[in-house]
Amino acid sequence: MNRRLRSRLGLALFVAGYALAVTWVFTRSSPILTDRPVVIRVAHWQIERGPPDGLKAIIRRYEELHPRVKVEQVLVPGGGPIFRQWLRSNLVGGTGVDLVEFGIWLDGMSDIPARYFAPITKEMLSPNPYNRGTPLEHVPWAQTFRDGLISQQVNAPVPGQFYAATLTEVSTRLFCNRALLREITGGEIMPVTLADLRALAGKVREFAARTGRPIYTLAGSRDNAEWLAEFLMQGATMRMSQRNDRNGVLGHNNWDELEEYLDGRWSFRSPEVRAGLELMREIGTNMKPGFLQSQRDASAQEFLRGDALFIFAGTWDGTSLRSLATFPIEVIRYPQPTKDDPVIGKYLFGRFADGGGGTAVEIYLNKQSAHPREAVDFLQFMSSVEGSQLFTDHSGWLPAIIGVKVPETIKAYETPWDSFTFGMPYITIGSTIISQVALNMYQLDGPEGSVDKFIAAMEAVMPAAVRTDLRKEISNRFLSLRPQDVQIMALSALSRQRPGDAELPVAQERLESSQIQTEALLLQMSRKLAEAGPVK
Amino acid sequence: MTEPNNALGTTRSTPEQALPAKFSAKSAGSSCRSATSFHDGGVLTLTPRKCRWAAVLLALVLPAGAGWAATPADEVTAAWQLVADHLGRDAYAKLDRLAGPPTREQAFAQAVVAIDYQPVTQQRLQEAEAVFGQLARGDDEIAAAAAYLQARMYQVHYQQQDYSRAAALFLALAVRQPHSHWAQLGLVNAGLLLLYALPEPARPADRIAAAEALLPRLEEKKLWRDLQLQLGRAGTFYEQPLDTVLPHLLAADRVGGLVGQVNADLLASIGELSLRAGHYAQARTYFERYLREDTYNMRRVTVRRRLEDLAALEAKAREGKP
Repeated sequence: MNRRLRSRLGLALFVAGYALAVTWVFTRSSPILTDRPVVIRVAHWQIERGPPDGLKAIIRRYEELHPRVKVEQVLVPGGGPIFRQWLRSNLVGGTGVDLVEFGIWLDGMSDIPARYFAPITKEMLSPNPYNRGTPLEHVPWAQTFRDGLISQQVNAPVPGQFYAATLTEVSTRLFCNRALLREITGGEIMPVTLADLRALAGKVREFAARTGRPIYTLAGSRDNAEWLAEFLMQGATMRMSQRNDRNGVLGHNNWDELEEYLDGRWSFRSPEVRAGLELMREIGTNMKPGFLQSQRDASAQEFLRGDALFIFAGTWDGTSLRSLATFPIEVIRYPQPTKDDPVIGKYLFGRFADGGGGTAVEIYLNKQSAHPREAVDFLQFMSSVEGSQLFTDHSGWLPAIIGVKVPETIKAYETPWDSFTFGMPYITIGSTIISQVALNMYQLDGPEGSVDKFIAAMEAVMPAAVRTDLRKEISNRFLSLRPQDVQIMALSALSRQRPGDAELPVAQERLESSQIQTEALLLQMSRKLAEAGPVK
Repeated sequence: MTEPNNALGTTRSTPEQALPAKFSAKSAGSSCRSATSFHDGGVLTLTPRKCRWAAVLLALVLPAGAGWAATPADEVTAAWQLVADHLGRDAYAKLDRLAGPPTREQAFAQAVVAIDYQPVTQQRLQEAEAVFGQLARGDDEIAAAAAYLQARMYQVHYQQQDYSRAAALFLALAVRQPHSHWAQLGLVNAGLLLLYALPEPARPADRIAAAEALLPRLEEKKLWRDLQLQLGRAGTFYEQPLDTVLPHLLAADRVGGLVGQVNADLLASIGELSLRAGHYAQARTYFERYLREDTYNMRRVTVRRRLEDLAALEAKAREGKP
């Protein structure tokens, strides 16, 4: 082949290739490699027994329905420091997963939703396409959740907007070692009131002393103690919350309580808070010494070894406890105080909530997801009747979705609406305050601890901690407000160009309305801070 | 000189009037890469004969390509859609790729997208504000939106807020284009600043009265409702007499259209504040409506309790009557 021929052949090949490329570009909308799968990654920390199997079942079915999409489940230990570092570093580095579990209570992470998560309000206000053929076919997605996603709306960076879909409903329960109860009391009568529990705790102490076995009424760890503390504190302070409810909404948000502290409407010296602390200290005496040094795994082991009669835990631990225990377990509601209770009887508003307050395991959409549509689509399947039933059947956790059949074995996790809640327990209203409570818990529990010591320690740090947490609230609201202006302008421009699209002006109006409310909250908080001035 | 450019009635500027459309973000990591950066060296040597062949080919292909290519207006619309889908970076890159002098719509879109382009810098915000200021000199929809955003820069976007300047800009817009949606929304924002942020008036009641005075200028029902709701909330914030607070909340409810938690809060709030103010019939109406409309919330248990409390109060009131 001479040089000229080679040159012509090369040119012809180039022309043919170019023509093919041009034809492809102008006649096809899909990429050349159409079989390349879309990969969605969903990360969570529910590595207990149950949820990974539940999600696996959902993913298996979803991938059958969508052969082009691959869903990877990423299990990250914690909710604690490992998860927090993993999440933040990946989000900052732009390598975050598409869908991720997040909790607004995660320490030092309150800026994350506003910075990195995208709202899914528009989708939430339309029916979930995967509910076709079910009674929820025409119900907006948000209203298919057993709680209407009420907590998610309250905790969203912009109140009223939806940022997450949930996977389950949780409650807190006492898990009882029935064999041990029979051994200690000769029967299986469960305590109903707090007075019953106190009496039973006395019997446990006698039994331990008589037999020399290190048995306690409650399996102890920092985590279990904190869950119990929140529960008890919320119950003890309901009347105070009602008194301080200036808006009359019959509920309290954490920022309300921060502002009220600056107004002098409550402190750790308030009688209701003191009563809650006394209950916390009393409960602590029924746990093994030094329980604050251990985490939930240690208390689970203590219970499973038969060294504790009860463990107070969330139903999130239920599948693990039941599958690992070698003894029969009874699940009961935590015994509540009565009006004649010597510690909190006079402050009692009524039975306090031990569940039913909302669905949980909130899965958020990463703003930086390369496949936001597919990710939202997977979220919709996950929280459809079919997806939720798969999750419940394979995890042993309650469903988040209405109409899903609850297996008999976990019926005790369901909470009837027979109790009250006025919102946030006063010890978990900001990340700085949560840290300070954890840091000073040793002042409350143990032989050297006392309610007075804890109160003194907390009141020394609260003025600064409240201001810090309120500043964070303000800063987070600025973070969420700013991108909304861009969104509003986009919705406005699109609705001008598509006058037939009725959804666009509605979405714009709702966003503007919720932005106004967020802005008012921000300005109220700023005003309270300014009025309070610096810590004296 | 300007000429009508699209169905919106927005205009295309001549090159002399071209607005600053490039923001300093380009150096901060725009995902757009211009074609010129791909290759610098030659890859094929063309003889005169080959050039003729290539020219014929290009003559055939390029007109077809030009026919298929999206117009700048289409690209701006596509960018708005990307923003609506929370893909602001992609929108920025798309707008950054557009060649030629920008239209008003394009310049506006670029400035809007720039204010949330991460990492946000004060310099980029100032550049965006300059564009908004220039666009606001017109009298069309874009002018009003730009003026509104210029005020928002001082209200929320700049690191250091200047509420007085923001309020002044909102009020100036409301004088210039009083019927524009952006002027109306600006009035609600001005109301919020009067309620909480501006140095004057000092007394809470005067603040509320000053914000109330904006109500007659609001022509859009939903915005009128939102300001009424905020007047009610400000009343409870400043602990004003309940009989001055309730009319605002009731007015907001009469307009309706609030959804979810906000609506549930409003119903509970009117019920509870009415009970506290001694308007028992009104309290009952709203508590019962709450139970009908908010079916998911555990607050229902508390509302039922308040209805029991209310029944006791009503009975007591009946006993007290001669």
